[in-house]
Amino acid sequence: MTDTILDVRGLSVDIATAGGVLHAVRDISLKVERGKTLCVVGESGCGKSMTSLAIMDLLPKGARRSAAALSFAGEDLSRAPGKRFNALRGNRMAMIFQEPMTALNPAYTIGDQLAEPYRLHRGASAAQARDRAVYLLDKVGIASPAERLGQYPHQLSGGLRQRVMIAMALMCEPELLIADEPTTALDVTIQAQILRLLADLQKEFGVAIMLITHDLGVVARIADRVAVMYAGQVVEEGPAAALFSDPRHPYTRGLLDCIPVPGRTARGGRLGAIPGVVPSLVGEVHGCSFRDRCPHARPVCAEDPPAREVDGHRWRCILEKAA
Amino acid sequence: MNALLTADALTRSFEVGQGMFRRRRTLHAVNGVSLDIRKGEVLAIVGESGCGKSTLARMLLGLLPPSAGAITLEGRNIRDLGHKTVARRVQPVFQDPYSSLNPRRTIASIVALPLEVHGVGTAEERRRKVLDILDRVGLPQRFADRYPRELSGGQRQRVAIARALVMNPEIVICDEPTSALDVSVQSQILNLLMDLQKELGLTYVFISHNLAVVEHIATRVAVMYLGRVVELADTDSLFRNPRHPYTQALLASVLTPEPGLGLPDTHLGVAFPDPLNPPPGCSFHPRCPRRFEPCDKVTPALLRDAGGENAVACHLYPPSPANASLPKTKN
Repeated sequence: MTDTILDVRGLSVDIATAGGVLHAVRDISLKVERGKTLCVVGESGCGKSMTSLAIMDLLPKGARRSAAALSFAGEDLSRAPGKRFNALRGNRMAMIFQEPMTALNPAYTIGDQLAEPYRLHRGASAAQARDRAVYLLDKVGIASPAERLGQYPHQLSGGLRQRVMIAMALMCEPELLIADEPTTALDVTIQAQILRLLADLQKEFGVAIMLITHDLGVVARIADRVAVMYAGQVVEEGPAAALFSDPRHPYTRGLLDCIPVPGRTARGGRLGAIPGVVPSLVGEVHGCSFRDRCPHARPVCAEDPPAREVDGHRWRCILEKAA
Repeated sequence: MNALLTADALTRSFEVGQGMFRRRRTLHAVNGVSLDIRKGEVLAIVGESGCGKSTLARMLLGLLPPSAGAITLEGRNIRDLGHKTVARRVQPVFQDPYSSLNPRRTIASIVALPLEVHGVGTAEERRRKVLDILDRVGLPQRFADRYPRELSGGQRQRVAIARALVMNPEIVICDEPTSALDVSVQSQILNLLMDLQKELGLTYVFISHNLAVVEHIATRVAVMYLGRVVELADTDSLFRNPRHPYTQALLASVLTPEPGLGLPDTHLGVAFPDPLNPPPGCSFHPRCPRRFEPCDKVTPALLRDAGGENAVACHLYPPSPANASLPKTKN
């Protein structure tokens, strides 16, 4: 058995728009190891959510996926029919979304929603599903879980709803959990609690996590590996420690300089900034997509930048290292 | 101290319907808050959703009358001053630059609106003022005749800042001004706000849930929980030596981009209180890791340190004879 649960190679997502084809995700490759956490980080519009939806075969109408390989637990799904994904989704791969209020169905009780994937995929009886739901609600730190089963989503706070979402995702013991901004809508103290919970559950159940976020603070604290996305591409990818201590791509470096860190940045001092805006991804896109905003840009950046790699730390830039 | 704007035992409650057949209930969004806003400072108000920080901001702007208590601008009650006078001196910047700008108006007419309302200058003078202020907030003058939809989030927030500053106010109330923005844009807006404060001698009330941003920009911090101020301190003391267990948990929850530190344990319970039915005593006690006997019975008053400016509302810091309760804080 391989240690890689998810191996994505050459993934692209194209969206047909009135103005032409929008290349939302452009030829990216990612790997998630069993029991480990890969964080995909980037700003709005960088393609990080489209990447996760493409992997789960949940892309909206009008968006088209193409991939050289999309292998889940050794099985290539790049040309698999929707039916195959239906059997896997909620079963061996599960997803948690940002806004638990819209992801939960307001018309069904927590108990019904928790039981559904378990009964569907495992053919469990109502009593078995109920037992498993109570067990997992308890695991995610919800007090008196048996009574919660009869409640509706609107009766729970945002933090509790997100805990229910996590319990639901774990019902069928998935091997891969994709979490798209799971704590962005939550208060900071609740965010810390939910992330800790995810990390504890990962240790206990050995589930691999692919976490999509815009928050480098979250990334630093939970990731084993990090992929930084910009304009539909992975511009840098590597082990979390190396990426934060020795960022190679000018965009990664720029992002880190933008964040005030108590005790590190001078209070009231100027923060780093990345001037300019993200380029349009409609039509043909050539060269380094960051070159218009990059302090190190030179004419050669109009051509595709070379892929570099040192000790499993990959980046795409003409430079060995952004000064 | 030079108090420019003063909130005195401010309370605001809302009647909340609970469905067709249920009794309406009272929600105390802000509950007996007293604060001085001093000339030239950046007073941050931090707290989580539902703590009443935005309700407090709307009251300070004169947009929402308090249920009890008073707001005074240099000693005069803003209720008596009239809305226009207050609006000349106190201006807002809101969180979402997508909904705070009228989509049917050009940037120039959005920024000029306060001038028109207050009857400042001729059309030509107003236009010049608008172009000046756009320049000041770092927007090219060619944006003047564009519409909000043509601008990015960061550019829109610059327009909102220009609109707030065009009347030369003394106080700007920023309600989560960077929360809707990407980090690379957030840093640009924070830099701009800090530059403008220095250049124009502005006073800010900076409402945020992001402690790292607050630490960077604020000179003083008020921490709110369920409608009350639970700790008030200068930024340095608050970050160096947080005293209220809630402040400690908030600071512990700040996730700085430092790998290897792992995820903090806030030691907080998950029992989030119902604001319609707040717990008795200290409203934080159901989540507090350090609660003891009096916490579920007696509401702690916000007590000022002996001889100091900082204050905390917690039974762990009992009043000594030298401690004096902040005047006029009702609890």
